[in-house]
Amino acid sequence: MEEHVGQVWDKLVTRLSDKSFKDSVVTLAQISKPLGIFFRALGGDNALRIVESTATQHFAKRNWKHRVAGTGKYVELSWQDEDTLHLPKQINVFPDTALNKDLYYWLAAINAHTLENPSAKARGLQGWFVYSQKITVEVLERFPGLQSRYERLVKAYLQLRNIDEHFNEQEQSQEDAIAEALTKPGCIEQLPTSQYAPKPVLLWPHPNPPEVIDLSSRSKQPDSDAEGESEPSKPEQNKKENKRRNAERVDMPDGKDGLILHRFESIFGFSEFLNINRSTEDDDEADQDKADQNADDMDFLSVARDNKTKGGKVKFDLDLPAESIDEVVLESDVLLPEWDYKKQIMQKDFCSVINYVHNTGEEGKLPENLRRTAKRLRHQLESLTTKRIWHRHQSEGSELDLDAYINYMGERFSGHKVEQPDLYQQLRSTERDLSCLLLADFSLSTDTWLSNEARIIDVIRDSLFLFSESLQNTGDQFSIYGFSSRNRGHIRFNTLKTFEEKYNGIVRSRIQAIKPGFYTRMGAAIRYAAQKLEAQDTQQRLLLILTDGKPNDLDRYEGRYGVEDTRRAIHEAKSKGLQTFCITIDDQGGEYLPHIFGTNGFTIIRKPEHLPQKLPILYANLTTNPS
Amino acid sequence: MSTDTQTIEMPFYSPQGNEESLFEHAYTNQLPVLLKGPTGSGKTRFISHMAAKLNVPLHTVSCHDDLTASDLVGRYLIGDGQTVWNDGPLTCAVRDGGICYLDEVVEARKDTTVVIHPLTDDRRILPIDRTGETLHAPDNFMLVVSYNPGYQSMMKGLKPSTRQRFISMSFNYLKPSQEQEVIEQETGIDAHMAKKLVAMANALRQLKDHDLEEGASTRLLVYTARLINSGFDPVEACLAGLIEPLSDEEDVVSALMEVVYASFGK
Repeated sequence: MEEHVGQVWDKLVTRLSDKSFKDSVVTLAQISKPLGIFFRALGGDNALRIVESTATQHFAKRNWKHRVAGTGKYVELSWQDEDTLHLPKQINVFPDTALNKDLYYWLAAINAHTLENPSAKARGLQGWFVYSQKITVEVLERFPGLQSRYERLVKAYLQLRNIDEHFNEQEQSQEDAIAEALTKPGCIEQLPTSQYAPKPVLLWPHPNPPEVIDLSSRSKQPDSDAEGESEPSKPEQNKKENKRRNAERVDMPDGKDGLILHRFESIFGFSEFLNINRSTEDDDEADQDKADQNADDMDFLSVARDNKTKGGKVKFDLDLPAESIDEVVLESDVLLPEWDYKKQIMQKDFCSVINYVHNTGEEGKLPENLRRTAKRLRHQLESLTTKRIWHRHQSEGSELDLDAYINYMGERFSGHKVEQPDLYQQLRSTERDLSCLLLADFSLSTDTWLSNEARIIDVIRDSLFLFSESLQNTGDQFSIYGFSSRNRGHIRFNTLKTFEEKYNGIVRSRIQAIKPGFYTRMGAAIRYAAQKLEAQDTQQRLLLILTDGKPNDLDRYEGRYGVEDTRRAIHEAKSKGLQTFCITIDDQGGEYLPHIFGTNGFTIIRKPEHLPQKLPILYANLTTNPS
Repeated sequence: MSTDTQTIEMPFYSPQGNEESLFEHAYTNQLPVLLKGPTGSGKTRFISHMAAKLNVPLHTVSCHDDLTASDLVGRYLIGDGQTVWNDGPLTCAVRDGGICYLDEVVEARKDTTVVIHPLTDDRRILPIDRTGETLHAPDNFMLVVSYNPGYQSMMKGLKPSTRQRFISMSFNYLKPSQEQEVIEQETGIDAHMAKKLVAMANALRQLKDHDLEEGASTRLLVYTARLINSGFDPVEACLAGLIEPLSDEEDVVSALMEVVYASFGK
């Protein structure tokens, strides 16, 4: 009973204190695509990802309703850091949907703008106050069309801002200053101080953006002893929320100085460190859900790293490059550069590639279940082997079509009045002079189970089989490589089929033997593959990249660093006259893929299990000249 | 294919750099020229301007993917009871002298390079197999080709062996102030509006390669400015003249319209 009453009361006061408008809510998910385009058009950085911001505590005075209900402590504001733009998850400030949407666009606009004088971005409350006005002025100056929208927003916002609020004199003058600054930005230079922080201003950037550590990312310390066990995730685990949590990285407490000199009744709550093995897969999915929920409930997370991994150690060792007798190193210590976007320099001889071939000594056979599809695809792709043929009855052509001409003349002389038919013939060759290098991602993430039967690596294996089967009769040159990496010194390049080799049992056995391992240092792999492909003396050279996710590696090769390096590698390949195309099964890829590969340089396969059948068809479409 | 021989008054052209003098030097030294740059950045306008300036006839051939060597050189047509040889635009230009401008040359079929190559080296000849003739280009003949490195389809590109036969010039979008001037000059629109349009176009150009295949060209800006100048609603004019031509995807169009509203208000 008590619990029930509590729940009802909670509902009641929460509803009373909640001033948002449920019916007119606009969520970020609804408009993130156009918003992203708008953001980039107004000068925002192309490489930034848009994510939902975490609610942050604002420390402003709350009105009595909020205090009773225990709500209103947090507010979602916007800010950006190195590789993300944070925007509120949803906006329901105004009763009018259009206004809520306008607010999103306004936030995107102020975040896209960089101040003409960047040093003006001062810290602290006063700095924020001046900065916010300044950015408003500059944005409105640059895009005068936003003026009316801004005015509408301010008008509606000021009306709603102070409902239910009671201010003392100091607070009132602070409020007045803010209202004045919103209406006539740039007019007030000093914010009057008061006991509390001012109420958050939803139209302005975040006063002190939290420094965020992405919990899903591994340690940024390069080469620490902690062996980052990669996470072979479970099927359907993809419901991860596109949200980041407030967190800090702290030292691991040793648990020896934990004496609390307090009477316990005075402590309302306390937090403690729990040793949870979060790096590895949780066996129970419910467990994971609970952990997610707990993390959501906590105000702040402190994460420590004790560099001890349980169980993972064993697995890791098993995955070490088994220098088995079957593996023949073709080329080792190939040094390649890497692009550092922060310093904007190319780091010479930064990565080392080892190219090996895995010969099992057996003749592999095409798996039984693929035979039928292979046959069908071979048939379909036969059209790629076109010969030079005379096209007759053309309206234009290099030669006269004598048959047509004789017929025509015959008819004319015999007294028929006929219209002049198409009398030319043309020798048309759709000659293909093409070589294609298929570069597949063998990183450990491909160990993920897609369904109960197949992992991503199995899908990739099938794809490689069907790709080779379909291409072997077309006369196109092709080669297949796989890659994975562990730090910059160890990029493994697995040769499955070179351009010179024939597709035969040995190649099949190599494809059969592929297995996932390590990470995805894509830039180096692309550079090395580009070298191989460049040596091919054909008119068209196509580099096809098959992957399941973002570039990442143990060290700082993740997030934007990896994306920028890969983008650079693609640009280099293009400038060598190679064509590049990426096929990915990462459905989150829409965010970073255009940045790396260009608008038309990639495709996302939504249903990975269709990849094997789709790959050859995609190849055919890519390489067929529509004319 | 359009072939026109025009020596009318000099079309307006606002130079980006030293391209005029470079072109003149190339002309006096009988060197072929390759113009590259995004669509609507003034390549074609530049050529008509230079042809008028040098006072030579201009033969323009817009290349398309069905354009063959015989379209350029010429072919036998069937006349009344006999076949008649008919010169193609390239042959015409070589016979008459002047600038022969092959627009978007990558679009043409591969066999066209065969007839272009002997004209681009020091031989400057055009062999015509069909008639057994070999034409020698006159002193005032100049071959100019253009292409847009941005949007080549996967299978189209200019072969290095072709590229390396030309003096190359790059065209790009103009600086904002200069572009504004061009738009005012071309359309007579007022400076304020021209400035807004240019700012917006530059915003849209930021989206190239990421969200759009190609940024808004100066040509599109001129069209839009003309619409506005003749009294059409600015926002609608931008939709028709700038946004719709850039994308077919509905949500991209609506996002781009937000950029328009950011300049023109809503």
